[in-house]
Amino acid sequence: MATFVVVGASLAGASAAAALREAGFDGRLVLVGEDPLPPYERPPLSKEYLRGEQPLEKGFVRPPEWYGEQGIEARFGTRAERVDVEGRAVVLDGGERLPYDAVLVTTGSRNRRLGLPGEDLPGVFDLRTAADCDRIRAAASRARRVVLVGMGFIGAELAASFRQLGLEVTAVEYFGTVLERVLGPELGGVLEAIHRDHGVEMVFRDAAERFEGDGRFEAVRTREGRRLEGDLCVVGVGTEPVADVLEGSGIATKGGVHVDARLRTSVPGVFAAGDVALHDHPVFGRIRVEHFDNAIKMGEAAARAMLGAEEVFDDPHWFWSDQYDVNIQVAGVATSWDRVVIRGSLEERSFAAFLLQDGVLRSTVTVSWPRDARRSMPLIRAGARPDPEALADPEVDLRTLLPKEGG
Amino acid sequence: MADFVKVGEAGEVGEGEMAAYVVDDRTVAIANVGGTLYAFDDVCTHAACSLSEGDLDGTVVECPCHGSRFDVTSGEVVQGPAADPIDTFEVREEGGELQVSI
Repeated sequence: MATFVVVGASLAGASAAAALREAGFDGRLVLVGEDPLPPYERPPLSKEYLRGEQPLEKGFVRPPEWYGEQGIEARFGTRAERVDVEGRAVVLDGGERLPYDAVLVTTGSRNRRLGLPGEDLPGVFDLRTAADCDRIRAAASRARRVVLVGMGFIGAELAASFRQLGLEVTAVEYFGTVLERVLGPELGGVLEAIHRDHGVEMVFRDAAERFEGDGRFEAVRTREGRRLEGDLCVVGVGTEPVADVLEGSGIATKGGVHVDARLRTSVPGVFAAGDVALHDHPVFGRIRVEHFDNAIKMGEAAARAMLGAEEVFDDPHWFWSDQYDVNIQVAGVATSWDRVVIRGSLEERSFAAFLLQDGVLRSTVTVSWPRDARRSMPLIRAGARPDPEALADPEVDLRTLLPKEGG
Repeated sequence: MADFVKVGEAGEVGEGEMAAYVVDDRTVAIANVGGTLYAFDDVCTHAACSLSEGDLDGTVVECPCHGSRFDVTSGEVVQGPAADPIDTFEVREEGGELQVSI
C-alpha cells in the first residue's frame, strides 16, 4: 500500500488531501502541520474573524472530524523537521520517520521581519496564524490607536477592519501609495483615496526605523524622523517561503521550492504546491503566488500529479480583497504593463482595469466591479490580445472576446 | 408547503440567464439551465453578494465577489470560500406567470 505524506496542514495541503481521496487514492495518507488547529482559511483573519463577526470554525477547510472519516492521519501540532529524499521519509520533530512513496510540501510562507530595534516589544505584532489574530484582537480591544507598517494587502485590510472597529489608524508605507507594487500608482491611488476617506492617516515614501516603547510598544520612529504613536502596531511587509524541510535535499529552494509546470521538484516523488511553490507557469513564467484560490487549485493539481497525471498547471491566478464595502479582485499576474484600459470609472471608484503588455492581457484589476476579473481569466490564460475598445465597453461580455480554438 | 407567488412573466429568464426577484423579505435568484428553471437564495452565504450577478456554468452558479460556487439544483457548496449551502426553492411557469414557492 502506497503512503503519501503532505507536509503542511494548510489550505493547499488539506485541498490536496481531499483531492487524493476524491480521486480514489486509498493508501496511507498523512497530513502533518505545525499549527495545532485543523487547516483553516486565512482570509477572515484580517477581516471577519478579526472583527469578531464569525467564529474561526467557519473557516475550517474541512470539519475536524472529516480527517478521521477520510482515513487521513492528521498530525496537527507536529513540525516536520526535514524530508530525507535519499531514505524517502519525512522526519518529524522528535525523530519519528514517516516513509513515503510521494510527498507534497505545502509549508506556505512566513512573514518577513524587518530586523529593526524594538521589533520584539510587546505590542508589536504580525499576522499569519489564528493565534496571531487572537493576540491582535486582544490588544486591539484595549486600544485606541493602531500603527500599521506596510500598506500592502494585509495592511490595507487591517486598516479597514480597525477603522470598522472604531480605532484610529496611522500607516507608514515604503512605496508611494497603497498597494503600489501590485497595482501601480494610478490604481493604488484609488485605494489610497478610499482609505483616506475612511479616516486612515497615511505616510508614504517613508519606512520604520525602530519601534519605541518603555517595555511596551509606544511608537514607530521612521527614517524621515516621524514618530507615529499608537497602542499597538502590526507589521505587514511581505512574506518569504518556508522551505526549511527541503534544506540539504538538493532541491532548489531559492525564492520558493522550484517545481515544473506539473508541480514536480527535481527529485522524483517530491512535489510542492501553494505559497511555497515557485512554479513554471506557461503564461507568466516562474512565479510564486500567495493566494487563497491558488492554494486550493494548486493543491488539487499537485494531488493529481502525485497520482501520475500529466497535467500542466496553468491556472491564471485570481484573488480578492475586501476593504470596507469595496470588493477588489485581481486576475492574472502583471509585473509590468504598457497600457491600462479602464472599463467603468476611476473617479467613481468602480471599474475594471485591464493591464496589457504588447497588446496581451496580463492582468485584470477590479474595484467594486465584480464579475469581470473572473470573466477575464480565460483571456489571460490564452494570452489573448483583446480589442481595447471592447475591453473598455461595459456592454461587451468578456467571454465573447476569447479567440476560438485553433483560430 | 407555501403557495406559489408570481414574480414575473413566463419565459422572461432566458436559457443560460439568471434574474433576481424580491419575494417577501428575501431575494430569490432564478436560473435557466438548458430550459429548466431553478430558484435559490440570491444572497451568497459567504459575504452576501448577489449570486445572480455572477456567472452560471451549467448548474453551478459562481459568486461574482469571491468565487464561491454552488450547485443550483441542491444549493450545496461546490467550492468555497462559502461554507454554508444556499436555500433552494420550487419554481414553475404556470398560466403565463413565473412563480416561486418559498
